[in-house]
Amino acid sequence: MIRSMEDLARMKAAYQEKMGKYKYLALVCYSTGCISSGCKAVRDAMVQEIENHGLTDMVAVIEAGCMGTCAVGPVVYILPDETYYTEMTPERVRDVVRRHFIQGKPVQEYTFFDSLQNKHVLNIKDVPFFRDQVRIALRNCGLIDVNCINSYVARDGYLALARILEKGDRAAVIEEIKKSGLRGRGGAGFPTGVKWEAAYNQPGTEKHIICNADEGDPGAFMDRSVFEGDPHSVIEGMLIGGYAIGANHGVVYLRAEYPVAMERLQPALEEARREGLLGQDIMGSGFSFDIEIRIGAGAFVCGEETALMASVEGQRGEPRQKPPFPFQSGLFGQPTIINNVETLATVPAVMLNGASWFRQYGTEKSPGTKVFALSGNIVNTGLVEVPMGTPLSEMIYSIGGGIPGGKGFKAAQTGGPSGGCITKDYINTPLDYESLAALGSIIGSGGLIVMDEDTCMVDTARFYLDFIQEESCGKCTACRIGTKRMLEILNRICSGQGCLCDIDRLERLGHIIQDTAMCGLGQSAPNPVLSTIRFFREEYEEHILQHKCAAGVCGDLVSSPCENTCPAGINIPGYMSLIATGDYYGAARIMLRDNPLSGICGRVCTHPCEKRCRRGTVDEAMNICELKRFATDWAYRQGFPTDEDLKPIAHLDKKVCVIGAGPSGLTCGYYLARLGYQVDIYEAENRAGGVMAYGIPDYRLPQEILEREIHNIERAGVNIILNTKVGRDVAFDDLRQRYDAVFVGIGAQKPLQMHLYGEHLEGIYYGLDFLKRNALVGDLDFTGKKVAVIGGGNTAIDSARTAVRLGAKQVVILYRRQREDMPADKEEIKDALEEGVELRTLVNPSEFLGVEGRLHSITIMRQNLGKFDSSGRRRAVSSGNSYSEEFDVAIPAISQTPDTQFLQNELELNGDRVAADKYTQATSMPGVFVGGDAHRGPEDIVNAVYEAKVAAASIDKYLGGKGELYKGFEQAITDYHIEGDIVPHNRFLTRQVEAEEAVGSFIERNLGMHELDARAEASRCLRCDRR
Amino acid sequence: MAEIKLTINGKECTAPAGSTILEAAELNGIHIPRLCYLKGIHKYGACRICVVEQVSPPARNLQAACVVAARDGMVIETNTPRVRVARKAMYELLLSNHDKKCLTCARNQDCEFQALGRELGVEDSPYEGERCLLPLDVSESITRDPNKCILCRRCVSVCRDIQTTSVLTAENRGFHTVITPGFSLPIGNSSCTYCGQCVVVCPVGALKETSHRDRVLSALADPSKYVVVQPAPAVRVGIGECFGLPAGSCETGRLAAALRRMGFNAVFDTNWSADLTIMEEGTEFLQRFKAVLGGEEATLPMMTSCSPGWIQFIEHNFPDQLSHLSTCKSPHEMFGAVIKSYYAKKIGKKPEDMYVVSVMPCTAKKTECARPELMNDGVPNVDAVITTRELGDMIKSMGIDFLSLPEEEFDAPLGLSSGAADIFGVTGGVMEAALRTVYEIITGRELPFPNLHVPPIVGLEEIREATIKLEDVKPEWKAAEGFQVRIAVTSGYAGARKLMKQIEAGTSPYHFIEVMGCPGGCITGGGQPRPRQDISIVRQKRLEAIYGEDERKTLRKSHENPSLLEFYSEWGEPGCHASHEYLHTHYVKRGKYNNLTDESFVVKP
Repeated sequence: MIRSMEDLARMKAAYQEKMGKYKYLALVCYSTGCISSGCKAVRDAMVQEIENHGLTDMVAVIEAGCMGTCAVGPVVYILPDETYYTEMTPERVRDVVRRHFIQGKPVQEYTFFDSLQNKHVLNIKDVPFFRDQVRIALRNCGLIDVNCINSYVARDGYLALARILEKGDRAAVIEEIKKSGLRGRGGAGFPTGVKWEAAYNQPGTEKHIICNADEGDPGAFMDRSVFEGDPHSVIEGMLIGGYAIGANHGVVYLRAEYPVAMERLQPALEEARREGLLGQDIMGSGFSFDIEIRIGAGAFVCGEETALMASVEGQRGEPRQKPPFPFQSGLFGQPTIINNVETLATVPAVMLNGASWFRQYGTEKSPGTKVFALSGNIVNTGLVEVPMGTPLSEMIYSIGGGIPGGKGFKAAQTGGPSGGCITKDYINTPLDYESLAALGSIIGSGGLIVMDEDTCMVDTARFYLDFIQEESCGKCTACRIGTKRMLEILNRICSGQGCLCDIDRLERLGHIIQDTAMCGLGQSAPNPVLSTIRFFREEYEEHILQHKCAAGVCGDLVSSPCENTCPAGINIPGYMSLIATGDYYGAARIMLRDNPLSGICGRVCTHPCEKRCRRGTVDEAMNICELKRFATDWAYRQGFPTDEDLKPIAHLDKKVCVIGAGPSGLTCGYYLARLGYQVDIYEAENRAGGVMAYGIPDYRLPQEILEREIHNIERAGVNIILNTKVGRDVAFDDLRQRYDAVFVGIGAQKPLQMHLYGEHLEGIYYGLDFLKRNALVGDLDFTGKKVAVIGGGNTAIDSARTAVRLGAKQVVILYRRQREDMPADKEEIKDALEEGVELRTLVNPSEFLGVEGRLHSITIMRQNLGKFDSSGRRRAVSSGNSYSEEFDVAIPAISQTPDTQFLQNELELNGDRVAADKYTQATSMPGVFVGGDAHRGPEDIVNAVYEAKVAAASIDKYLGGKGELYKGFEQAITDYHIEGDIVPHNRFLTRQVEAEEAVGSFIERNLGMHELDARAEASRCLRCDRR
Repeated sequence: MAEIKLTINGKECTAPAGSTILEAAELNGIHIPRLCYLKGIHKYGACRICVVEQVSPPARNLQAACVVAARDGMVIETNTPRVRVARKAMYELLLSNHDKKCLTCARNQDCEFQALGRELGVEDSPYEGERCLLPLDVSESITRDPNKCILCRRCVSVCRDIQTTSVLTAENRGFHTVITPGFSLPIGNSSCTYCGQCVVVCPVGALKETSHRDRVLSALADPSKYVVVQPAPAVRVGIGECFGLPAGSCETGRLAAALRRMGFNAVFDTNWSADLTIMEEGTEFLQRFKAVLGGEEATLPMMTSCSPGWIQFIEHNFPDQLSHLSTCKSPHEMFGAVIKSYYAKKIGKKPEDMYVVSVMPCTAKKTECARPELMNDGVPNVDAVITTRELGDMIKSMGIDFLSLPEEEFDAPLGLSSGAADIFGVTGGVMEAALRTVYEIITGRELPFPNLHVPPIVGLEEIREATIKLEDVKPEWKAAEGFQVRIAVTSGYAGARKLMKQIEAGTSPYHFIEVMGCPGGCITGGGQPRPRQDISIVRQKRLEAIYGEDERKTLRKSHENPSLLEFYSEWGEPGCHASHEYLHTHYVKRGKYNNLTDESFVVKP
């Protein structure tokens, strides 16, 4: 029996002495997550192995709670070494016993793998995931024996209670909690002290305190973890709260889905009773208090306090109107305080260490720490406790270890189905009550679901609404029918049946439901929908107007993820099947339907399709791009396409002018010609192809490949007029008069200036100008020169590789961020480094110094890593430290912009870019359309193809047609699919010319795929299009 | 009571402390549209139609006026664009899950939901989508159509809070919430008492009486049937409301005239058998009383058995206490038994050629007439029961202009009755009627209260009680000299439950107890016209009307009804063998979950 502080001290000393005799403590996580991944077998194996080696006096094996890393369980934490073993098996445990306990050498390969450092880390303190946390509510979780009150007391458990009871000042307790600024951690964030004071001031002798453990937000499990890892902290919190408000009765309302929590709590209550910490006259103070457990049957709404009380009373779990508030009329009509588990677990720590200790963490208005459950597309999923106000970016990229698969961050859902989403523009938002409220979201109970770029926000909204409408109690009209109707509208949109007015309807209904629903559940039910409409309206519009789900999630709108992702919309599974059956000709015909530049794309496409390929979840994504190259090369050798393949469907007397023979102009011209229009393309240079002709060097895209496809386009009827620059050689207005419609496809040719001192010195070439000059004039020779290339994109890499081929003795890329932040293709970077290019990161030129007008040296500023930006990359911040390095040539290649000088008085511009309607590509002038880089800024070829196709359809419609492209003959598809289990096999690769050989000339490095490999590769396709 | 001051729509208002915003507005002449709210019965906040804007202290959301307390200094706006938009949306949402078969609905033009749509100016149903489609649930008394239900939950409140029976409840959740007896049992297999209070409060056609109109019309059209009609006492103070008359109109004469125009072969009055009931039940009480006085075994307190809802209630909830019930059939069943035996013989008809129609303020009577024990000579005592509401509708559909009818008498001989019979329609009435007779039998003197009313048992309080001291008794009752007879009266099951708990515990101080199943008695029974105003006002007016009818009569005591005396001269004396065969019955142990019997009142559609 504990009757005094001395008793507590004695118990603490005894326990510490007992544990101090062991050399090692092995804390095996015994929480739900680790139990389901097999921790019992791990513990048994450890106990057995320790016995086998006679180490029972040296190592104590303890069942402990959760440290938050459920995804890598079972985990075992070894003290005093602070070694954190993950993904333990009985096998590994035996190894640990031998190597760690007997030989004294921790087994590094079993320890926590930190994705940021890309290695297993021996000491837990060296892992950002643990290092950046401040654990108050979770202070004991994972560190104490969950079955033993003594271990809790040994960490000063019940000391706060003892002091409070000794002092006997209830008002002082409330005052301290008020001073601490502790706010309810269940979601609403109401100040706990204020709530307690209200109940304290209520007359009446029968009062209650309820611990709300009806944790229901999808993905959140902090309450469960506290009960499973440290049940006494909640019991002590309830005792303190009960004492403060004058309650003698406590209820833990625990959801039935938490059997392990129940298993821990029940004996903990019995232990506390046995020790006299529950029951009559606790520690001789005259204060009597006991706690009963009520099991909730799994209704989400029972987390709402009035519904919870109805449920405890045996009624149907439905909320009622507030006021009266529970502190006025709660359980059985008596004053009642309801606190969340995390709040109650925090209370003893606050009382023990004082309000000002607590306030050192967090923000002024949101003091202390908050537990978050990280889940979704994030490397380190699990529970973390951080100071309030921690930026979301830190949470995702540092503690969370970033987004798996190198994908981009799209949004984070906070507050579960009642919350909202935070987009990348707000990625540095501090996680606290006020900041999230300002964005229309909430902290809620701490669920934090990270969504990557492959997430459909319409579908996400639908998921949450589906959940909430299932969980509506059905009492009030707004929630019962309103959420159902909203869900139906979302279902319509997700299946491509929506109309634009549905978005308005959702907003209207959503606001009305927020305004009229009875309880918090209903009032917040529309939040995910309203929040996604606010930040991702375009996605809704895309589903409705284009029947397209870019993320490839909405089943009715998606045939296969690759085809859905391909901007040109090529039937990829179709040609995979044909290649697998040996019909390469047919495969090329399928490609030609949707992309007249397939041979080119087979070499230089950014292939976003491969990122989405589901085969990637098995082993590696399909090598789609190379197969495209293989099939087109094969078919072209066989005389594809025939004249028949390129025949127009009609002959029309309307004339269309295309400005620029780049990817967009060629594509637009091609499709218009096939519809029967007379198309003239005006090209300023002496060669057609735009950046394809001079921006992409021959070692990546040989001229004959380009010319082959330009020739096909001419065969289809397009007339290309070279050496004619619109605005110089012919007036735009003149063209507009002479032609029935105009397509502007001038690309982005103007290099972006760096605005640095010395930028105009001799020896400085801008990236695209440099490549162009080399391709079209060919008068440069860098033999023996030292070249700096500035930038991290593909133009920078191509510039560097071209410089190597021009004989430079040293080529250095200067990039201001880190290598993983470079936007260039990873393959290209790798090839460049192989060819001898050097890469220096975290450096940025600040001035160019010359001698006699020629570049002599560059002053280079070292950069530090700053906060994360919206792309999830850390900003580069000047360190103030610089050095100087001599260079003969500098090639700034930071970006390009369209040269739209000649259109300034004709069309509405968006900066240098031509503004256009995103669904029709129509510019502000009737009959004039735009596509490609002139509209979007520097982008890839396949996006230019997409916009050109949209524009071609719009031009047809403008000129009286149906607005449907003519793609040629349908190609029958021989279905090829290997039945049975998938046999893992990585992608088949292509052959390459060795780097040493390649750098001597501009010959193509990639030799393509062998037919045998190609057929095998194509047969790896999972055929996601088959339903 | 303390007063508060608040501003509603710019108007300074005062209201008693504790009022809701809606009540405060109402008191100050400001109407707030509402749907689920029902004064005195249901404050629930489910429909959200009554939402208002709380300007000060500022509230983030709209507030449901029916459940949010009015506070001093509050500023409320009830008619802003924001409020109107929300209200209309709530209506449109409800409409989207409603079957909208208004033209073929029993509540057409008498539907609160329909009327509200007009009030709110709803002309479209913009939120059409999936609907919750469920089968009809038909029992002998009550038909439940979940597809019309708008989940206002009034029925749940009245069943649980007023009647304490908790038969109807919400099941499932969210969009699939449905109001049903527990475990989705059909009503006819539940422990429902068929009191019909849910039917009275239902704002739409989701709960209604199971109609007997067609079978009555068929009987009237069948020349081989001799169709006799008998209206219950409370019908005469209810029927006028079906034709727009104010509550409290007593329409005995026009009722008789209307029934006659409808083509019934004989227009009798259940009142006659109310007097008969007093003779039988009074005699039964005297027998039990005498036995107890003589130290013999007999069950007291004795409880009245006129109310079939109450019978059903005790059978379900106190199946071991059935011996406390009087064995008398309810008056209309006694009547049917007399018609099909005594009267049929008189006019030379066979029992099976007689067709008895009861017009009742009650829905439970429909189930009662289906009970197998209420049969004699192989035919049911009563063939059809129509409610006051059904009668009103039938009169209208037959083209009878009720309001211009002359006042007529019921047919002789079974149309003549005393004032004691009239007050059978109100709580306390049966007891008072019985006392008028029993007291006189024991003492030879008239009941010693002004105007023959027993003041402690007149009224609407939940339980009323009185003690009557027997002094100067007749010689044959000398054992009762000085005895204080303790009586109690209650209506509604809340009071009945309390009295039964006492009996169960053996602590009941009473000798004679009257129970009526519906609060206020038959005047506000489940078959009466739905009140157009506050139910408590309507109840009081109907009560006054029925006592007025009693007082207008010169014949005030059942044992003085000459027609009844003539009947007994042929039939035998009260409690005789024939009485026991035809006028008395027995009861069925049913159990709380209907678990003690296989009997079911489900009607297969």
